[in-house]
Amino acid sequence: MSAAATGGAQLAPATRTARAQRPVTGPRPPQEGSAAVITTAFTMVALVSLWVAAQALLFSGVSHDRAQALLYQDFRTQLAETTAPLGPVVPAGDPVAILSIPAIGLDEVVVEGTASGDTLVGPGHLRSSVLPGQIGSSYVYGRAGTYGAPFGDITDLRPGDVVETTTAQGVTALTVLGVRRDGDPKPPPPAAGVARLVLVSVEGEGRLAALSADTTVFVDAEAVDAFPAPSGRPTTVPDPEKILATDPGALPLLALCLALLLALTLGVVAARQRWSAVLVWVMASPLAIALAWMTTDTVMRLLPNVI
Amino acid sequence: MRRSLASLGALTVTALGLALPMEAGSASVVGAVVAPSGDAFSATRTVERSFVEADGTTTTVSRHEVTVTADHTQNLRGRERVLISWSGAQPSGGRASNPFGENGLQQEYPVVVMQCRGTDDAGVPESEQLRPETCWTASVAQRSQTLRSSSESTWVHDVHNSEADKQRVSGMDPIPADECPSADIAPYFTHLTEFVAANGTVYPGCDSDSMPPEAAVGAAFPAAEIAAFTDSSGRGEVQFEVRSDVENESLGCNDTVACSIVVIPIAGISCDAPAASPSLADRSCRKQGRFQPGSSNFANDGIDVAVGPALWWSESNWRNRFTIPVTFGLPPDTCDVLDPRAPTGFYGSELLAQAALQWSPAYCLNKARFKFQLNQLSDVAGFNLMLTGEGPAAVVSSKHENTGGDPVGYAPTAVTGFSIGYVIDRPDNAGEYTDLRLNARLLAKLLTQSYLGSDLGRGHPGMGGNPLSIVTDPEFVTLNPGLTSTNQEAAATILSLSNASDVIEQLTEYIVNDDDAMAFVNGEPDPSGMVVNPAYEGLGLPLQEIPLLDTFVPETQNTCRQANPSVYFSQLAAPVTTMRKIAESLLDAWPNVQTRCDFDLSTQQFKTGRIERQSFGSRFMLGIVSLGDVERYGLRSAALETKPGTFVAPSDKGLAKAVALTEQEEKRGPFVLDQAAVSKAGSAYPGTMVVYTAAKVRGLDEENAEKVAQFIRVSTSEGQRAGSGNGQLPGGYLPIRSTGPTSKLYDSARAIADAVEAQAPARTPEPPTPVDPPTDPVDEPTDAPSSTTAPPGGNVADLVIPDLDPPGTSDPATAPEPGAVPVANDAPVVDTVPTAATQAETSGIAGRLFPMLLLVGFLGLMLSTGSRFFVRPPRVPS
Repeated sequence: MSAAATGGAQLAPATRTARAQRPVTGPRPPQEGSAAVITTAFTMVALVSLWVAAQALLFSGVSHDRAQALLYQDFRTQLAETTAPLGPVVPAGDPVAILSIPAIGLDEVVVEGTASGDTLVGPGHLRSSVLPGQIGSSYVYGRAGTYGAPFGDITDLRPGDVVETTTAQGVTALTVLGVRRDGDPKPPPPAAGVARLVLVSVEGEGRLAALSADTTVFVDAEAVDAFPAPSGRPTTVPDPEKILATDPGALPLLALCLALLLALTLGVVAARQRWSAVLVWVMASPLAIALAWMTTDTVMRLLPNVI
Repeated sequence: MRRSLASLGALTVTALGLALPMEAGSASVVGAVVAPSGDAFSATRTVERSFVEADGTTTTVSRHEVTVTADHTQNLRGRERVLISWSGAQPSGGRASNPFGENGLQQEYPVVVMQCRGTDDAGVPESEQLRPETCWTASVAQRSQTLRSSSESTWVHDVHNSEADKQRVSGMDPIPADECPSADIAPYFTHLTEFVAANGTVYPGCDSDSMPPEAAVGAAFPAAEIAAFTDSSGRGEVQFEVRSDVENESLGCNDTVACSIVVIPIAGISCDAPAASPSLADRSCRKQGRFQPGSSNFANDGIDVAVGPALWWSESNWRNRFTIPVTFGLPPDTCDVLDPRAPTGFYGSELLAQAALQWSPAYCLNKARFKFQLNQLSDVAGFNLMLTGEGPAAVVSSKHENTGGDPVGYAPTAVTGFSIGYVIDRPDNAGEYTDLRLNARLLAKLLTQSYLGSDLGRGHPGMGGNPLSIVTDPEFVTLNPGLTSTNQEAAATILSLSNASDVIEQLTEYIVNDDDAMAFVNGEPDPSGMVVNPAYEGLGLPLQEIPLLDTFVPETQNTCRQANPSVYFSQLAAPVTTMRKIAESLLDAWPNVQTRCDFDLSTQQFKTGRIERQSFGSRFMLGIVSLGDVERYGLRSAALETKPGTFVAPSDKGLAKAVALTEQEEKRGPFVLDQAAVSKAGSAYPGTMVVYTAAKVRGLDEENAEKVAQFIRVSTSEGQRAGSGNGQLPGGYLPIRSTGPTSKLYDSARAIADAVEAQAPARTPEPPTPVDPPTDPVDEPTDAPSSTTAPPGGNVADLVIPDLDPPGTSDPATAPEPGAVPVANDAPVVDTVPTAATQAETSGIAGRLFPMLLLVGFLGLMLSTGSRFFVRPPRVPS
């Protein structure tokens, strides 16, 4: 990136000649030497950091909402056609349930899989557990601060609150048992025929709690009226799907995204020699934003799956 | 031991099936049936060879009074070995190093032992009669003579052969042209002895393609039929392995299809009158052998065919046969086939396996009894299943820690044990070694992997000077003189069990009791300077399982080993999961040493694997086997040292003596054999083990309690009658009787049967356990997860979920019936049961990421703006 910036700096003389007729104040000449390097480097660092933070915390909600809208349409069609999955093995990324908690205004489509990439679009269901509403313990991981922060408020749940899940088998109303943090006693294993749903997310503490969620928190909910679960679930899940795990599988994709960004920069440099600045701006900005968006999404896959 | 048990059992087997059928009009047979004792067999007959001279007179060339005996013949099981011995036969010559199958063909005057379907009785339908066509051979050369020149075709001059068999082409008629296109080519002589399978299929046997599938090259089981050797005194013996229809479907012997072991002492072809000028064929028929009696034929030189084993079917030889009728026991799956009830599985020790094989039909075929099934597991696993209630009873052979709350009774069920099985050939084709003696230190050396195996092991740090294998260990040579000193990898190890077992525990207790052996394990060199493998030094014996501790990977130039670097000593030891596998390895002389390393052409890769079967004549293998398997498969057991200089092999006497030494330390507890007492007594066998049926005497439901009580009662009464029939006690087990040294076992078993049946009243809710010995809470993990109905292994608890409440433990098979839904409960948190605390996980990156990003971002922004503002170059004047 800094190479691209330096390239921009070298390009400047041509610009200067083009603007030579401007008023007396004239353009400030481009910085040169180490000063230029420092300035552009800091600019880039600021740009990259702020963009990532802004997208993860703010803009990502948009993509999450869009994904949810699509998943919801998809899932309601499946429910209507009775083709929605029952388990035990569902392809990762497919919608498996609708989770709604009126107490905190949560209404989300749960997807199969808990890797970082899966939880970008909505809460993810742990693949080695039963589906929500089925007999046994079901685990759903959700993000607390980014991508719509679907599970950002689950710590506000109180015993007795109702969690509703809708799956292919029907609607189950579970009652929240309580929020569990480090050191709290676990509830006993669910009795025979009982559906247990464990919502898993993270929370932070202190003044920056919203930004520094880093400690797992669990919310247990149970329903005595549950649906039978098919056998044959995997007994374990791959490492990237465990709690707070990252997905190193995104690294090749990240390399590709960065290469595209570099290519875009070089393209801008080349285009700038032929076309006017306005034209290049108009053409390159959407591409740059799209690429930056994609890159940040990929970077998020390299970060823990429930932040 | 089997022989003594057989006579003990003294089952009245009438001579009915054992009467040797005589062939009418056969002048040479003057045999007499000797009354058999038990299910043994013995018969005597005269075997003679005669030539018809040119003038029509008959000259008797040889005459032998041959007696053949078999040690047991009834209720045989697949791969069981029968000891066949004989006396009075013509001494053999040109002895082959491997007498099995076609390897034994180049011998003179051998005794052919083979298994045939049918009975030798003119009274039975022809399809059930024994003929050469129903006799099993594993190769074509053993049964058919194809395209022989006239000088080789001696059977044509067999005076006893029918006219049809003297033709140029004889035997199978007609020869199928499509299967055997080249069998009939004039002027060559051919005789096909086709094989008729049990299902009626006829295999012409003219080449290897027209043989039954079980006779394919590289078949699953090596050839069992043998051309055995008679020594110069006319005696010989062989352990003949019988095959049931499980192993050999074409031969098809089972409990309903009668079979026989046929023993043919080869005396040579009796020749008919020669032509006026004796032809080449006449002369070859009259040959009497080119090898001296007792000589060996290592080079596989040609022999005089007239006195060889290949013509066993020719009438001169066939008429001399001894037919030993055998019966097969019920197949192992009898209960599954005949009894539709669900089996009740007892879990545990393999020591009971051979007894359970004979006992289970006595349960499942009797509607008044339950369907008994022994599921073999490691003792401790079986015991834990019993404690958690998943098995009604466990089969164990020592005391196990009771981690449950209910008291457990150990009812003695069988007295048996383990032995060090071996198969060792003496050098120079002198037969099998039958007198192996071992002491505790030799066993310690084997179990601690202290022999180097081969030059690959020489680089092992700390013990490079040790012998390569046990045969070059001076201590072993002193105990067992006269064996070969050629090292082989299999002689550096003893095939042992890979999982926890009471057998290993008792074996290591035997080692612990020996001061010299423990000094060796603890690092002291033995008198010859051999030291323990440093990886095992100070090993804390006794143990339930011998761990594989060595990590030495040899450096070698071998490209295959470079491509597959592996721990050499673990490859040598390569323990297996059951003693049955060890017994079969010994039976096949096929060590489980995994050091074979070669190039696989199909995958273009180097791969490692099990070494080849050992060749007959240079076999050397040791393994830990159960006494039941020893008797079933006719294996040999080493004598173990008790007192210095006293070696005790397993026998009824040695077992009884050891049982007399055992002591019951607590009521309903097991009988403990103190190895110190064994070495003091001298004559007791140190490998003696009592097998118990362990069951809860409180907390078992009524149905299972009745089953267990029934099993204990039946197995200690009816089940202790020695014999080979259903419900009887096979060889390798000492019967438990109400009198004699085993009476205390009998009394204890009876008392525990009553206690199990009665089931002490259920415990009051108070937590302390009043009756049973205090249990150690350290062992808690074994019952912690099983407090739910979670099936072992199906539990998802091993997931690395930080929050470890057992997820998904509900078994879909136990989906609730509509009425069985528990009553709804608004606050289902049951806080009476203490549960583990939640363990949260934290992620540093998650907590610091966004604050850092924002900090860096704003800092960068400030600095970049600042640098623009402060470090700006002067404006260029226009």
